[in-house]
Amino acid sequence: MQQGGGSETEVTWDDQQNINRFSKLNNRFHELEDEIRIAKETNDNLEDASNELILTDEEVVRFQIGEVFAHVPKDEVESRIEEMKEVTTKNLGKLEEEKDSVLAQMAELKKILYGKFGDSINLEED
Amino acid sequence: MMASSSGSGEAATERRGIPGAQFVEDVQTYLAQAGLDANSALAFLQERLQQYKLVEMKLLAQQRDLQAKIPDIEKCLDIVATLQAKKGSGEALLADFEVSEGIYSRARIEDTDSVCLWLGANVMLEYSCEEATALLQKNLENAKASLEVLVADLQFLRDQVTITQVTIARVYNWDVHQKRIRQAGAPVKDS
Repeated sequence: MQQGGGSETEVTWDDQQNINRFSKLNNRFHELEDEIRIAKETNDNLEDASNELILTDEEVVRFQIGEVFAHVPKDEVESRIEEMKEVTTKNLGKLEEEKDSVLAQMAELKKILYGKFGDSINLEED
Repeated sequence: MMASSSGSGEAATERRGIPGAQFVEDVQTYLAQAGLDANSALAFLQERLQQYKLVEMKLLAQQRDLQAKIPDIEKCLDIVATLQAKKGSGEALLADFEVSEGIYSRARIEDTDSVCLWLGANVMLEYSCEEATALLQKNLENAKASLEVLVADLQFLRDQVTITQVTIARVYNWDVHQKRIRQAGAPVKDS
């Protein structure tokens, strides 16, 4: 019969929606990777900051608020940094969770789409 | 060219000025209905794709702007909150600020009931701390809401791009397939 070339597999609206969903998830995955990287960096910076704080013997620390460095007593700076660390860690946890969920959904969709289209579709990163 | 037949639950046909991509149930029917041959259809679809890409770039730029604006507003809120906290204590707030690149100076900010907010267009207005907080909070919420709408727009746009890309592939494949059939058919006729 006919050689391959123009494949005759029909693409239904459901298939199209699956492909769209996969594309959306893939984009979200990359966004999440960036956000996670930034959150990890912020966490590291806060860690370094609180370490420096322990080492310093100054009573008043210049703490960045907005665009200026305000003179803030050491204790207040410590509690501020602790708060910021908590927020960032919680945020990081949420992002990691979302990333896992996105990866799982993508794996599901890959199974479905490869099942129907086989070689006619490519869902890998180039 | 609005979405015609096939009531297979297609997506919205347009969103905020972005035309929806028509989903094609069957390539042959689509080409017949549009009265186009494969090449013209491909050309039309490619052009659509380019238009989508342009809009995507514009939306991405807007998204970047908003994403930069939001932390700025949050920093402002932080400062106003700090000033308000200091108000009761009676001592001034000492702050080092940047006078010019790399050059800092110390400022002594006394107890104050008001702050000045830059509203843009070379306009700066004085507000009480409470009013300033309220205004900044409202701006923050607006920015976040705009960002949400923008993200939804981008998702819609990307869906249309994907649909168009898949349609292009299918039309192209269909065309290749048709050519193969014609080629296979020709030798038989000649004999």
